Amino acid sequence: MTTSNHQTKDIWLYLHFPLLPLEALLPQLAPEQKQKPIAVIDLQKNTQRVLCCNSQASAWGIEPSLSVSTALALCPELVALPRQIEAEQDCLQQLALLAYRFTPVVILHDACGLWLEIAACHQLFKGYDSLLEKLESQLQQQITAVNGIGPNPLAAQLLCQSDFQVALPSDSEIQHRLATTELSQLTTSRKQQQSFKQLGLRTIGDLLALPRTELSRRFDAQLMASIAQLNSEKPFNAPLFQPANSFRDLIQNPQGIFNKESLLFPMKTLLQRLCNYLMAKQCHCREIEWHFEPLIGESRQMHIQLSGSQNSWSNLLLLSRLQLDQLELPGSIEQIILLTDQFVDMPMGMCNLDLFGDNNSAQQSCELIDSLNARLGIDALSQPILNQDYLPEQASTLATPGKHSSTGINGKSKAPQPLWLLTNPAPVHLRNKKLYWHQPLSIISGPERLCGNWWQSEQQRDYYLACDSNGARYWLFRETSSQRWFVHGLFS
Amino acid sequence: MANTETISNLLTRQDTWRGRSQRRSRPVVSTGYSSLNLLLQGGWPTATVTELLPRQFGIGELSLLLPLLKDHSNNGRLCLWLDPPYQPYAPTLSAAGIALEQLLIVRSKSPREWLWAAEQSIRSGALLLAWARQQAPRYTDLRKLQLAAADSSNAAFLFSTISALSAPSPVALRLELESLQVNKLLLTVRKMRGVAPGAQLQLPLIEPAAEVGAERTHLAQLPTDRHHSYDYDAGRQLS
Repeated sequence: MTTSNHQTKDIWLYLHFPLLPLEALLPQLAPEQKQKPIAVIDLQKNTQRVLCCNSQASAWGIEPSLSVSTALALCPELVALPRQIEAEQDCLQQLALLAYRFTPVVILHDACGLWLEIAACHQLFKGYDSLLEKLESQLQQQITAVNGIGPNPLAAQLLCQSDFQVALPSDSEIQHRLATTELSQLTTSRKQQQSFKQLGLRTIGDLLALPRTELSRRFDAQLMASIAQLNSEKPFNAPLFQPANSFRDLIQNPQGIFNKESLLFPMKTLLQRLCNYLMAKQCHCREIEWHFEPLIGESRQMHIQLSGSQNSWSNLLLLSRLQLDQLELPGSIEQIILLTDQFVDMPMGMCNLDLFGDNNSAQQSCELIDSLNARLGIDALSQPILNQDYLPEQASTLATPGKHSSTGINGKSKAPQPLWLLTNPAPVHLRNKKLYWHQPLSIISGPERLCGNWWQSEQQRDYYLACDSNGARYWLFRETSSQRWFVHGLFS
Repeated sequence: MANTETISNLLTRQDTWRGRSQRRSRPVVSTGYSSLNLLLQGGWPTATVTELLPRQFGIGELSLLLPLLKDHSNNGRLCLWLDPPYQPYAPTLSAAGIALEQLLIVRSKSPREWLWAAEQSIRSGALLLAWARQQAPRYTDLRKLQLAAADSSNAAFLFSTISALSAPSPVALRLELESLQVNKLLLTVRKMRGVAPGAQLQLPLIEPAAEVGAERTHLAQLPTDRHHSYDYDAGRQLS
């Protein structure tokens, strides 16, 4: 059973989540409900039957495949929940994402399980034992998991134990266990099991001991494929798990959330999931979007734009919190959704190994811009930019930060130019042939003629430098067409 | 034992006056004007808020900070302008060598927002230039900013109207700015930590567009206080 054609021997881990239908529904339950006996029911053979139940329910004698009426007769206070396949799939995706952080080869199995190939990554975790321990401790926080280890996916699945084994079994141990596994686990077909019985085959070892040609005459192609897989002769071709291209996750709370403080906890959970996703994809996000959906009425949305990119949930939570303070929320929130599809690759050298703190000031300014954005709103921030134009109000405009393309006509003007520009030029009055704006002005130098906008409404202006009696200097212009005077800027 | 400790603690404080003996050097950042550096004992004090009180806008109060802005922005650090009275004119700023992408203009909608934005910016290492809103900031607000600046060891500037001069202020340095003639400022120290107020300086400004080569220093008036004349004498010898 050695794989001579492989350079390194694959080791497959099968993770099985026996209570997935139940544990996928737990987040939707109220805390006091979680302590009660709970069973998930599903339609099997035309009757509602128990699919799985928690330990409190088992104590009442409830077990899988019991009909609902029997279960309720055994335990009248049983909480019977209908199965939600979608919630299970979401949960399985979460778990796959978690597993993806350990190994790139993750395969989803419909029947609440995951396959992981761990031979390629054991060195990263300094041995199988520490890898399995780490995996177990991370899984434990989320779900009940058991595992099986084998040289190929099928063997790993067949060898699935009733608990999580953290030590890698030896080759001979695996062979022995596999050989003693009952054949009933390999196939569910009645007919096949009948023929196994007729042949006097009880374990997989018995089956594999027979010559292959003899077997192929008696059994169908499907079983032969399974045997080939068990011997690691055929590669296991199933699509590998890939993190989705965009992130969307939600937390439901049927009881409703009534104040902002209690919103923060589910938001934190969602952001932590987002950061797991970002870590698996090795990227940062550029913006996130929150949807808060009430029981009745319209949902509220909240966009958080980041000036840089982030993959730290604590920073994102801080920004979300700042913006949440400004948001008016309806009475009770039933569902919180977090979305994002704006990603950038993780910048090189951003792995908290910044020994000399070169990045520090840039990162600090990004954080400052983000928090100002979140608290004051996106309109509150701007940045002066240079434009290719001769008219002053078009040469210098304000833009949202982070979108600068400073290519201006630079150093063309010999005459001094001001530091302040009036957004709208202020008209200057003429009194006794003297210019007057707040106080009398006298011209020091000029004019400098600036023309612009000739393609739509031609503007021709003569710019002058003027000062008042206190020594403050102004930038005046006279429109040649209307002969009117304006203050356009202040030297400062 | 406890007594000597108390005394040594007192002596290490910056605001303990110890006669003519050497003062512990304060953290400063150069103003870009040598005569102003002398007046301010090295430069703009960091770890404190500096309040500038121009008699009116347009007399060169911003040119005073251009060298600092240039250094700061070209080091890749953010300069935050909170509620400037007019729109900054990008071509002139760019001609003065300021990196425009490091300039951030913030408009606040309420005194609370103003205070929050100012404090955030000081705490995150940006150079803050804040213009007081119409309703002048309260003493407690200024004290908050002053404490934030002391924690973060940054320079921060607050432009207030001249009417604020009558009110007390917790900041460490207050300078009144007045125009003597075009491009020449008269600076009056109204408050400076550890120094008696009243010192004045006439400062010809550097034109942002055309670099004025020779900068002349002229001290209008020696302060009357004796132990300060030492600094200015030394300054004179240097210049």
